[in-house]
Amino acid sequence: MTSDEEDFIYIGTPIGREEDTSARKIKSASDAGQIRALPAWKQEVRDEDGRRRFHGAFTGGFSAGYYNTAGSKEGWTPQTFTSSRKNRAEVKQQSLLNFLDEDEREEIGQHALETSSKFDTFGFTAADLSRKQAEKDIHKRPSVIPGPVSDELVLPAMNSFGVKLLGKMGWRHGHSINETRNSSLYDSRREARKAFLAFSGNEPKMEVDEFNSTKSESRSSTDEHDVTIDASQTTPVFVLNPKQDLYGLGYDPFKHAPEFRENKRLRGSSRNVIGPKTTAASRKENLFSSNSGKLAPGFGIGALEELDIEDEDIYESGFEIMETCIDEVEPLSKTEKNVKLLLRDKEHNTLSGFKRATNSEYKLERFPPPNIPLGFKSCHIFSTPLNSSIAYHGSPPPEVPSPDDTSHKILIDGFAALVSRCGKLFEDLSKEKNKGNPLFCFLYGGNGCDYYTRRLWEEQQKRVDQKMLMLDNTKSSPYDTQKMTAESRGRALGEKPLAKSSSSPISNVFSAELQRLQSNLSDNFKMPSSHIDFSEIGKPFEKEPAKQKRFEQFIKDKFQGGLRSTFSGGTSNWSENDRARERLDFEAVLEKIQKGNFNQAASVMQQTLTSPMITETQFVSAGTETIHPKIEEKLSTKVYPKREEFQWRPAPILCKRFDITDPFMGKPPAMPKPRSKMDSFMFTPDFIKGDKLEGNVSTTNTTDLKSNVTGDEPTTSEPVVEANDKAVHKPVDLYKAIFSDDSDDDGDGILKMQKNVPEKVEGANTTLNRLVAGDFLESLGKELGFDIPTSTPVHLPKSVAGTEREITPGENGKVLSDHVKLGSTSKLLSTTSEETGKQIDRNDARSVKPSGAEDAKWQKNGHSSHKTRNMSSTSHIELPNEYDHRSREHKTGKNKINETRHKSSRRKRSRKGHHGSNLSDSDSSEDTRFEERHSDIKTVKKWRTDSRTESFSNDDKYHDDSRFKSDKKSSREKHSKHHSHSSSRHRSKKSPDRKER
Amino acid sequence: MGGGVDLPQKESALLRGHEGAVLAVRFNGDGNYCLSCGKDRTLRLWNPHRGIHIKTYKAHGREVRDVHVTQDNAKLSSCGGDRQVYYWDVASGRVIRKFRGHDSEVNAVKFNEYGSVVVSAGYDRSVRAWDCRSNSTEPIQIIDTFTDSVMSVCLTKSEIIAGSVDGTLRTFDIRIGRELTDDLGHPVNCISLSNDGNCILASCLDSTIRLMDRSSGELLQEYQSHTCKSFKMDCCLTNNDAHVASGSEDGNIYFWDLVDASVVSKFRAHASVVTSVTYHPKDPCMITSSVDGTIRVWKT
Repeated sequence: MTSDEEDFIYIGTPIGREEDTSARKIKSASDAGQIRALPAWKQEVRDEDGRRRFHGAFTGGFSAGYYNTAGSKEGWTPQTFTSSRKNRAEVKQQSLLNFLDEDEREEIGQHALETSSKFDTFGFTAADLSRKQAEKDIHKRPSVIPGPVSDELVLPAMNSFGVKLLGKMGWRHGHSINETRNSSLYDSRREARKAFLAFSGNEPKMEVDEFNSTKSESRSSTDEHDVTIDASQTTPVFVLNPKQDLYGLGYDPFKHAPEFRENKRLRGSSRNVIGPKTTAASRKENLFSSNSGKLAPGFGIGALEELDIEDEDIYESGFEIMETCIDEVEPLSKTEKNVKLLLRDKEHNTLSGFKRATNSEYKLERFPPPNIPLGFKSCHIFSTPLNSSIAYHGSPPPEVPSPDDTSHKILIDGFAALVSRCGKLFEDLSKEKNKGNPLFCFLYGGNGCDYYTRRLWEEQQKRVDQKMLMLDNTKSSPYDTQKMTAESRGRALGEKPLAKSSSSPISNVFSAELQRLQSNLSDNFKMPSSHIDFSEIGKPFEKEPAKQKRFEQFIKDKFQGGLRSTFSGGTSNWSENDRARERLDFEAVLEKIQKGNFNQAASVMQQTLTSPMITETQFVSAGTETIHPKIEEKLSTKVYPKREEFQWRPAPILCKRFDITDPFMGKPPAMPKPRSKMDSFMFTPDFIKGDKLEGNVSTTNTTDLKSNVTGDEPTTSEPVVEANDKAVHKPVDLYKAIFSDDSDDDGDGILKMQKNVPEKVEGANTTLNRLVAGDFLESLGKELGFDIPTSTPVHLPKSVAGTEREITPGENGKVLSDHVKLGSTSKLLSTTSEETGKQIDRNDARSVKPSGAEDAKWQKNGHSSHKTRNMSSTSHIELPNEYDHRSREHKTGKNKINETRHKSSRRKRSRKGHHGSNLSDSDSSEDTRFEERHSDIKTVKKWRTDSRTESFSNDDKYHDDSRFKSDKKSSREKHSKHHSHSSSRHRSKKSPDRKER
Repeated sequence: MGGGVDLPQKESALLRGHEGAVLAVRFNGDGNYCLSCGKDRTLRLWNPHRGIHIKTYKAHGREVRDVHVTQDNAKLSSCGGDRQVYYWDVASGRVIRKFRGHDSEVNAVKFNEYGSVVVSAGYDRSVRAWDCRSNSTEPIQIIDTFTDSVMSVCLTKSEIIAGSVDGTLRTFDIRIGRELTDDLGHPVNCISLSNDGNCILASCLDSTIRLMDRSSGELLQEYQSHTCKSFKMDCCLTNNDAHVASGSEDGNIYFWDLVDASVVSKFRAHASVVTSVTYHPKDPCMITSSVDGTIRVWKT
């Protein structure tokens, strides 16, 4: 502070001018010395311009930029970025420096790499510099020795930094760096170790083990010397892993690719063992190396996820692509001979270090072949000929009637067969053996001798024939002597070939199936006589050689057994029609020829074929048979490419993203599952099944009735009732699946009905309970939903019949589900008194309206108090109003849904009407299907949960169900009458319904 | 080998870099760049005309089976063995989103015209559509009417077409809300739309490529004599729809005349299975990739 300024009082900080800065700078520089002399609290921190930057915590803290405002007086200069389509702005490479203030930049600058003579270890740079300096100086100062020589001789000595450091640590020149230990024992050990290592340089592992042992040893021994030696620390790494490559010290080529290290190591080791060439197999041995080499690094595979089959290289079909290892100059450490030796060792599976003996002690004992005596024959010849049939051949004994005694006859027959098979020797033997046996008197010319000789002759004849046949066979097919076809085996066993002529002509006439089967069989057992010579047939298509050829092929196909080769008749560009026509042509021609042949050689044929008529049918059937695969083929060619069309519902968002208006906009949000149209065909069998199920339902009802009668206590019968309820519920899903297909217009109605079924039942249950059982039962009913007083049950059939009658018109599905409901109601009826039964009936009568009208109408016409109800609900037992809203509480929401769905489906229907195309048919079925499907899941779920929460506090429904079933099994039979009765009635009921529709 | 003078048969560049099999190579929209992906879990962006490798995209955990790039070249989508569909930013090389949901490997992936939806086809017998606009990673549509692995998918402006091993070629028309199923009777390996969009080429695993009329579902022509039995391989039509090009399992490239189905040209391109063939949208230029780890650019 100068004296001038003392006259004025300044308030605030004067705004400094830019011009001042230079002056201030000078000032700050001059003050620098002064400030340092000041005590610490009076010193000020100023920047290089002399501006005060730090004002203290209470006087403003740091100031930055241009008086705490911006970088400069003008403020920040924003970065400009201009880029147009024509002149694209260059992507600027921004670096850290772009974001730093000047002072920060400077700070960084301090850390920047610069050369420094301090770290000039060997002093070259320093020497250079000093020499240059000397050169400069040389002109200035005169020297005794002229010229630059003297300066080159005298170099400034300078210790390197490392040397300095070492020196500070106490190192002296001439001493080794490991000077701390002087133990002679240690030294000697070390030397020994060194020698050992040098000796076994190849096994680093062993070394380490050895080391550990020596370490511990040395520890114990050197403890007394009070020197802490860690052997592993003192052992330099280069001893363990001698450097064999040409890289610089400490350079690790696999630093960032550790997976290659393994690869490399493997290569090295395999080279040592097998040779310089690495085979794929050796690399494959190591699973990790092969895999890790092949797969690039990436995320996605967890640590626990193992590399499985998908990760294996499926393309590795002998291609070695992966040879991208880092290759180095391979030191040829082993001599060729050595390698060979090792290789051989490997081949012979000998242990390393062992050699395969050239002459072994063990010798395989070989025995000389036995001497064969001179007269030896390799095959035994029986003294008596096995088959002496030839002797009989010439003179057949006269035909003799068989003896009256059947047992005797059988004996003779059997014996003859045996003799014919085993030869005359057997006869002689048995003759001798059975001397005096009256049964075998035929052997001695006694009773039945003639017959015996005749039989024997016959048997032998048969055998000869067979033999001839066999010989024939073997001759004809010399290659498959061992192979026995079914045919030859059959012949050998004496089986008769399948009768060509069916004994019953009726079967030939009516059953085409049978014919085909038969012809298939008879093809295999065709007699040679039925073969048709081509020459016999002649050439019906002589004019067209191509056609004739095809015809011949056709015949060949026809008369050769086995698999029919697919008829390649016609050229490929023939249409199927043409082909079929020609085939028919051929058939006709062949038939003609066949008939002609029969006429000519009728006498010959008569033995084998009973009548030409049958053969004709046979041929016809064969013809159809051959055509069949044709048709299939035709189908198959037509089948592909086959086009089918389904409804598919794209997600609204997908439509949005594709910029397409949703074709299903405004439709209920459910996803229609495109199902095959086969579903519609499945209907008929399902219907039958439905009937069956229906029967089941009634079974459960009646059985329940029965059980209720037996179960007096209301509490004890509780689980039964619950189970029954479930049993009644269950089939409803099935009905849904079965019948909703069939009712196109009323799909929604059914839906609703199904939805309401459970609630209805429950509601009805509670109502009835209250009406009848009074307060006591009411309290119970609250808990259970319904209960059973012990009173005479109402007859089920009656009630069923009654209600059925009331629901006259309507859909099948409705009727059925009504029935289901009736099951439950009837059960209820059974629980209540007759009186209540009547009441219910009355209720029924009141509620059930003449149905068959439109849904909408129904809603209007129905109970005014139940407008939310739809047809399905009204068609069932209507609840009195006061109890109704209880169940309605649960229902209203659902009903709304139902209604909306209903509406939408109606809209859909109207849309269909507009379409008016053949598409609409499938559409409608699909609509309902989709609705039904949708409801399938939902209703069942809801209903389940509802029933669970609402009235029952039961635990496991399925369990109960099963229990119930087992309970009811026996009683079911008793009531089978009822089922049959009711179900038959149902059927009769249904049929008019269907007609109506 | 005569004929087909305008067919690309001269190798103009060899793109090396993939370690292991290259499973797919795709031109971008204008044909100036191409993308490849392979067993080494990487995607690579190339300039095939200059033979330069531009960028590598790494994030996949398993092999990458297919890749597609939007029309504006801004985004990529890729899929592969890690059951995810990746949505990439081309410039930064970062994954914007991963769509999880496929139960199994994903075989093919395609963007729609606006690049707002990725449609993927997987081994899990489903085709899934994923929204790129919203942040949700849930599929916006799952099509699971297939009965076997879906191998290939194509998109038009309003349709999703997919070919499956169940032998069907299914067209899902978003505009009408209908599914057309063309049963070819043989496992479909790859489908490729003709440039006019009227026909579709379906490479089947019976070593036959079938040309189908899309509107009628008729079989127009069959192309044979190459081998395609067990690998996922591509086929395509040339830029002028005059020829059909496909690789073969023996490393050959085949060119058929579109109309008379005769082999116009056939030459050995690779040492091993030719996994992918892609044709330049305008010029007679073709890129093939192979299991031998190379990508080759072919020009006339």
